[in-house]
Amino acid sequence: MKTSLRIPLQFAFLTAFILAGAGTSSQAADKVIKIGGLLPISGPGSYFGVQDKQGVELALDQLKGGVNGYKFEVQYEDSACSPLPATQAAKRLLDQYQPDVVIGEECSDATLAVMPLMDQAKVPLLNAGSSSIKITEPGNPWTFRIMPNEVMQGVDLATNAYKRLNARTAVLLHENTNAGIGNAKVFADTFGKLGGKILEDIGFGRDINDFTAIATRIAGLGSVDVIPTYTLEGQGLKITEALTQVGIVKGGGGKAIQLGAIWLPFGFEQKAGKAAIGYIRIVQFDPTDQRAVVRDFIKGFKTKFNGDPTHLNAHAYDQIMLIADVVRRGAKDAQSIRDGLAATKDFSGVTGSVEFDKTNQNIKMDTVHYMETKPDLSWESLKWN
Amino acid sequence: MAAITIALLPLIFPSSYWRTNLIVCAINVLLAIGLDFVLGYAGQLNIGQSAFYGIGAYASTLLIMKLAVPFWVAFALGALISGIAGALLSLFAVRLRGHYLAIASLGFAVITYQILLNWISLTQGPLGIYAILPPPPITLPGLSPIVFTNLANLFYLIAGFALLIYFILDQLVRSPIGETLTAIREDELSAASLGIDAPKWKAFAFAVSSAVAGAAGCFYASFVGTLVPDAFFITESFSMLAMVIVGGMGTLIGPVFGAILLTILPELLRGIGDLRLIVYGATVALVVLFMPGGLVQAIRLVARHVFAAGAKFETRS
Amino acid sequence: MLIVILQQGINGIVVGSLYVLVALGLTLIYGVLVQINFAHADIVTLGAFAAYFVAQLLSGNYFIGIAVALIVGGVLGWLINAAIFAPLRERGSELLPLIATIGISIMLQNAMLLLFGPIPYAFNTPYSSKVIHIGSLFFTLQNLLIILVSAATIALLYAFMKFTFLGKALRAVSQDRETAALMGINPNFLIMLTFIIASALAGMSGALLGPVLVLTPFAGTSVIVKAFAIVIIGGFGNVEGTIIAGLIVGLIESYTTQFLDPGLIDIAVFALLLVMLAVRPTGLIAEKRAENV
Repeated sequence: MKTSLRIPLQFAFLTAFILAGAGTSSQAADKVIKIGGLLPISGPGSYFGVQDKQGVELALDQLKGGVNGYKFEVQYEDSACSPLPATQAAKRLLDQYQPDVVIGEECSDATLAVMPLMDQAKVPLLNAGSSSIKITEPGNPWTFRIMPNEVMQGVDLATNAYKRLNARTAVLLHENTNAGIGNAKVFADTFGKLGGKILEDIGFGRDINDFTAIATRIAGLGSVDVIPTYTLEGQGLKITEALTQVGIVKGGGGKAIQLGAIWLPFGFEQKAGKAAIGYIRIVQFDPTDQRAVVRDFIKGFKTKFNGDPTHLNAHAYDQIMLIADVVRRGAKDAQSIRDGLAATKDFSGVTGSVEFDKTNQNIKMDTVHYMETKPDLSWESLKWN
Repeated sequence: MAAITIALLPLIFPSSYWRTNLIVCAINVLLAIGLDFVLGYAGQLNIGQSAFYGIGAYASTLLIMKLAVPFWVAFALGALISGIAGALLSLFAVRLRGHYLAIASLGFAVITYQILLNWISLTQGPLGIYAILPPPPITLPGLSPIVFTNLANLFYLIAGFALLIYFILDQLVRSPIGETLTAIREDELSAASLGIDAPKWKAFAFAVSSAVAGAAGCFYASFVGTLVPDAFFITESFSMLAMVIVGGMGTLIGPVFGAILLTILPELLRGIGDLRLIVYGATVALVVLFMPGGLVQAIRLVARHVFAAGAKFETRS
Repeated sequence: MLIVILQQGINGIVVGSLYVLVALGLTLIYGVLVQINFAHADIVTLGAFAAYFVAQLLSGNYFIGIAVALIVGGVLGWLINAAIFAPLRERGSELLPLIATIGISIMLQNAMLLLFGPIPYAFNTPYSSKVIHIGSLFFTLQNLLIILVSAATIALLYAFMKFTFLGKALRAVSQDRETAALMGINPNFLIMLTFIIASALAGMSGALLGPVLVLTPFAGTSVIVKAFAIVIIGGFGNVEGTIIAGLIVGLIESYTTQFLDPGLIDIAVFALLLVMLAVRPTGLIAEKRAENV
């Protein structure tokens, strides 16, 4: 073919391809649900972000076919678990990505800092990691929380300790953070009101590595029935080991029972060994749950990531699946997603059921699971809820 | 010229995200020039600046929220309290020099942070202080009130204040006081033999520097709206130090450039995700190694080459 | 109560020896170089990870893990010296290398974060779970190991400094670099050697401390600031002072925990630091360094 004809022809083909491609892709682009992931990806907070991402990825995998013709898309921005970086990340997300819904953050102060921004931008914030009551108490129409807050967990734990475990004396052990202090305070108030006695309230910094001194102090207190412990995995391990070495807790031949809430994942026992025996705690994901949705989640997670899922993976997974449920019910943009979330009833997630009250807090108590560590280091579900 | 740039910036960047970054830049510029005054001009190795930043933020916020002190009064008091703290540290460390002073200032910063963290009944500690309001609207005669929930206005306020401080520091540096400080920096013993009362002037330098940091702290609180002790951890001191060094220590314009670069760089690098902080750390290390005079040195080098090239061009034609 | 006080004493010595291990390398570098290396903490962390992987994954011996960590530390020290301290030596600034090491520290931490992730590793050794009881008092075998290895290392270092030619040359350089050079000693070579030794020490400490620390890329930072405080309280560059200061700080920690509140530990330690700086800046054991004070 002569050169003079070839080029226009090629051009025509190219244009046709582009138009066809653009045609289909713009059709797909029209039906996308944009999810913003406001998670800590740098610094120590990345402990949360890394696991959250896994849960999200698994959910997106399973939703590949889309929901109601809508494709799900996620954009992450690093909020670093702190108010100012979270504010910057949230603004970047809102300004540039313009999501229909945002999941995050993990740390209560970061969440509290970005809530007004979500409000202004009229984009729903779906939270599954911050326990401070201040997040839902004021009743913000644009903030939703599927995880049980510090009041729900603390009151329940203290009541169960007093009534089911017949505990009368307690020593509180907590990290000096928003979540640690807040949770410990709720327990102390409830336990005290019931008639129990708080022997000591011991707060520690996140830079403590050796807990022998603290364990020694507790050992010197005399008879302790329960030790509610509020801390993350790394320090939690050291605490349990120290308490065992001193001989206070059941795992070390003593009689005190360690109680917990906040973030001790499945797999903790394998690291702690015999020291963890007898530990009773609230978990937000029960791997022994026999519901199909949980079994499938665990299987899917093991296949994709070659490990056991933690509550962080589970929460993130539920966040995406809840959004999918809302979209299935007809939502397609920020406002309708917000309304859909508020109207949620009978959603069954891997962490439990979801139904929001007037303050957009999930009030289903089956999200508060109790587990006890058995002598063979497995978890026994206590079915207290 | 700087005023014009400041005036234009929010117009170039209308998005909320970039205006937020501009405000953070302005606050960092304030911190950097304040630090450079005591570090670059007076030669005092102060790596505890985060303490004064935090004291100013908490003092002013608590005055406003607990004692209903008017904003600008609290602002002035916050800066004053920080300034006094700085002077006290200097007097305490009067005989210390070099690394000893550095660690003393670091120790002071650690103690301050721990007090902010542990004195919960006063500061709320990690629980945080929320819903902090921006500065109240200013009503100038004949104009409608200037509201500071508007990011552009807030930027003008903070950047304008930074410009004012820059001007004041510049005047100080050019004055006999500046010479005194430089004399102390170069050789404290000889300066003493010239009759210079080194302790007094060191305390002065510290006081000015800390007061500026305290003012920045007040702006920080009213801008972010949320106050937690972690915002004043000692790593903040290192960030400020990096801004001063990367910009060019011992010049006033250097820290301005350093603050802007090191504020914007992590934001621009967000696209590369996980490598972001590695690149940031590498940048700091490389600048120190190859361009210890910082950006100011770099700009001078470039300018010299440009002029040299221009001169060559002229002679040729 | 007496038992509690005694046990807290033991706990304090254990924690103290942890800090001493980290601080030793710092004090060595400072003694010869008059420089602060902020990346020191990250060398400790990296040593811990190196030992972990060798011991756990390659199912090697724990002691091989310690040896590997030592080598990793040494190599890193050599690199940091070659890249940062040597080139900046001529400029004579105290601040520039410090800042550069801050940049290096950020890089190392985040590189480790990328490689190892933020989830804490459970570094168990055959010694970390074995508890030794003496009456009602106790400590773990790992703690004993830390104390013994620290003591042995210090003894070896001491002997090296006092009796070998290289050791004497190092002391010469630390006292008066110019005169030492005039006497035919190559200061740059010795400085490099110091760095390698100090960083190898750091790596080895990491291997020993790995089971005791919460092992994440940020593990080093949890101890570094206290390590600096110890180096100053004990006297920059003074090994005996560092040991005593480290033990004192450890004891302050355990007794503050017992009688006050663990949250006040840092305040107590740094208040001591400031008091020392005000009263006796050269440290517990006076150094002959006249120019700084």
